[in-house]
Amino acid sequence: MTDSTYPEISFEARMATVEFRVDADRAHITVDDTVCRDCTTRGCITACPANLFVPTAAGGILFNYEQCFECGTCYLVCNEEGAISWTYPEGGHGVVFHRS
Amino acid sequence: MSDFDAIVVGAGPAGSAAALELARAGRSVCLLERGPTPGSKNMYGGVVYGRILDTLVPGWWEQMPVQRWVTRRSTMLIHDDRALTVDFRHPGWGAAPFNGATTFRPDFDAWLAGLAVDAGASLVCSTTATGLIREGGRVVGVRTDRPDGDLRAPVVIACDGVNSFLAKEAGMYPHTDAANFTVGVKETISLPREVIDERFGVRGEEGVDIEILGCTGDVPGGGFVYTNATSVAVGLVLSLPALAAGGDRPEELLRRLKAHPAIAPLVEGGEVLEYSAHVIPEAGYEMMPELVGDGILVAGDAAAMCLAAGIWLEGVNFAIGSGAAAGRAAAQCIARNDTSAAALAAYRRALESSFVLADHRKLRAAPHLVMGDLAQRGLPAVACGVMEDLFTVRNPEPKPGVRRIVRTQMRRHGVRARDAVREGLRALRAFG
Amino acid sequence: MIVAACVKLVDLRPGVDRLTGAVTPSTTLGCSAADRAAVELALQLADSWSAESVVVCCGPDRADPVLREFAAAGVDRLVRIDATGAPDSADVAGLLATTLAGLGADVVVCGDHSLDRGSGSVPAFVAGALGAAQALGLVEVGTEGPGTLRATRRLDGGRRERLVVDAPSVVSVEGSVAELRRASLAATLRAGDVPVEVVAAPGLVVPPTVTTRPWVPPTRVQPPPQGTAALERVVELTGAMVERTPPRTVELPPDRAAALIVEQLRAWGYLEAVPSEPATDG
Repeated sequence: MTDSTYPEISFEARMATVEFRVDADRAHITVDDTVCRDCTTRGCITACPANLFVPTAAGGILFNYEQCFECGTCYLVCNEEGAISWTYPEGGHGVVFHRS
Repeated sequence: MSDFDAIVVGAGPAGSAAALELARAGRSVCLLERGPTPGSKNMYGGVVYGRILDTLVPGWWEQMPVQRWVTRRSTMLIHDDRALTVDFRHPGWGAAPFNGATTFRPDFDAWLAGLAVDAGASLVCSTTATGLIREGGRVVGVRTDRPDGDLRAPVVIACDGVNSFLAKEAGMYPHTDAANFTVGVKETISLPREVIDERFGVRGEEGVDIEILGCTGDVPGGGFVYTNATSVAVGLVLSLPALAAGGDRPEELLRRLKAHPAIAPLVEGGEVLEYSAHVIPEAGYEMMPELVGDGILVAGDAAAMCLAAGIWLEGVNFAIGSGAAAGRAAAQCIARNDTSAAALAAYRRALESSFVLADHRKLRAAPHLVMGDLAQRGLPAVACGVMEDLFTVRNPEPKPGVRRIVRTQMRRHGVRARDAVREGLRALRAFG
Repeated sequence: MIVAACVKLVDLRPGVDRLTGAVTPSTTLGCSAADRAAVELALQLADSWSAESVVVCCGPDRADPVLREFAAAGVDRLVRIDATGAPDSADVAGLLATTLAGLGADVVVCGDHSLDRGSGSVPAFVAGALGAAQALGLVEVGTEGPGTLRATRRLDGGRRERLVVDAPSVVSVEGSVAELRRASLAATLRAGDVPVEVVAAPGLVVPPTVTTRPWVPPTRVQPPPQGTAALERVVELTGAMVERTPPRTVELPPDRAAALIVEQLRAWGYLEAVPSEPATDG
């Protein structure tokens, strides 16, 4: 049991440890992926700690806001003007940490 | 028409300290928090240094929610599977008046906000401040996302965290260059109390703080391990531009740290209780926004008050220090009925004469130095190599001598003596 | 006229010891979407009938801050029946009915189930105790003048039942019926001082029943199969060509089967080796 080579929990299991009070009415971050099509760096894909940015076969970016840590990494690394519009979720919604 | 004497946005350590001081000065203050409870949006690298609380909350250690008192502090340099640790233990830190403590931010922040509420502040949770209300260039309140959500006051203290949209909206935060920021990711792993005591060599309320350099692959940054009562926090701090440049994702880098032979025996076998992430204003003094505007003050992470100076990694104490100073300055200005930028500038002067800006100014070069190539690659590689050559007994070969070992290792890892001396001098200057 | 909403506040993040099943309560209480819909519906009905709205719940004093959020949303009165632990549905319904009768509630709105795997039986018990009309599991609620509801109920097979319910009545609603309004800032600021009327419930301190289930380990990352051809990868994934110990089927009485399993687990190293028997005298 205490073998360090024991495989890591899957990313889904990792994210399942975090409480998210999802606002079903509004996505607090939106990605205009017509802008992303011209982006060569796509830093958001590797940098987002919640792995919410997924490249699509069509060359765009698929983004899910539900499991967002609201950390700000994505808009800070985004080098394409206007691709990410970033706000905080409505009060009371979003991530809720308990043991951080 | 004002609803309150002051509005504090964000019930983190800075906001709660500001609200506490305002309420104690007899001012009506509204403390806005976007999370359902204070601290629910916050995570950190693990240690709260309580000295700043001595004046604010005498006897704080008897009431503050604490996981463990840090009595052992290690700095670890990692290169491939080797590690060199400088380990300092001081049992005295485990008794009053204490030094650093590990605590969960939702517990700690709620406790501090509770003190502000007890002093008379009005805490409103689940309410996001969406913008500033301005009249003729001066800030006169905030907009919130509640119906009829406008709130007016002669002074607004923005403690809305590292992303501080309020400071940006007020035009006080011109440079949001990704290079100034890092992202922290952390796992809290549950382990039985006895197992933690045994693995980390501590007892009772004693705890450990391990800071690690060289564990982040190609991404400049650092790592940490902290002990809580019945869990261990292990995490990384990663430079944003390098992380975005491609390669490995944060959780993969974290997996490698957890699998390192020096770390695995400490953290393995437990169950992940929570994964968390947060952005850190890494560059400190060099990225600080304007702290004072007409009717507005900025404190805490919103003002980049986090000190990421390598050997010193502090934030909560700087947040409390700046927040309390903002609260006191605002209270005085409200009493004199003048909350213009000129009057509120007392806040900046107070910070300059306190540890908050004094430390930040003194250590202004440190964050850059720690994130530099020599500290990130050269130092851990050479240090681990030197240790290996020093302590590997190669009988019947004679011992090579320390000077030769250092020279060989520096050459092997491409560290030129000239650069090492230059960086060493810079470090001496930077750390004063 | 009085419109009451009954809600159940449930611990949102209880700590559960995986080994013993011991529950550590957290500080976070909350209620289901259905309960929140019930409060919203009560507010809407009270508005349209110019009635008084009351929220009644059965729970510990930790529930008060959550109740005050309902006050911020516009509920006129808050009543809490003081109970800790997990009393059973019939007891809760009895207390709720007594309290509601005392308040003189004409229409009672409940959520159709609580967050902790509620069965939705409390509203029925309450209606029974009050001798009121009941309509449970509503998906749509309208009004036909003071005290009269026009409701749609979900039936099996996608059918719907339309009902007209006269006061006194107890109804339960699904979460989709209404979304609780967001309280205004001024109301939220005032709500901190709203009193919660506490009804004593002597003797109702019931420890929660704990049922433990086998622990389900989290899913883990497995390295992808290395083969170049699809067939190779499938073979690798299924482990078809890998040498392995074939399964052994034995039929034994339970005690001997258990002993065999324990012995095998020891052999594989999952259990400690047998401690040597201490020498017994005589």
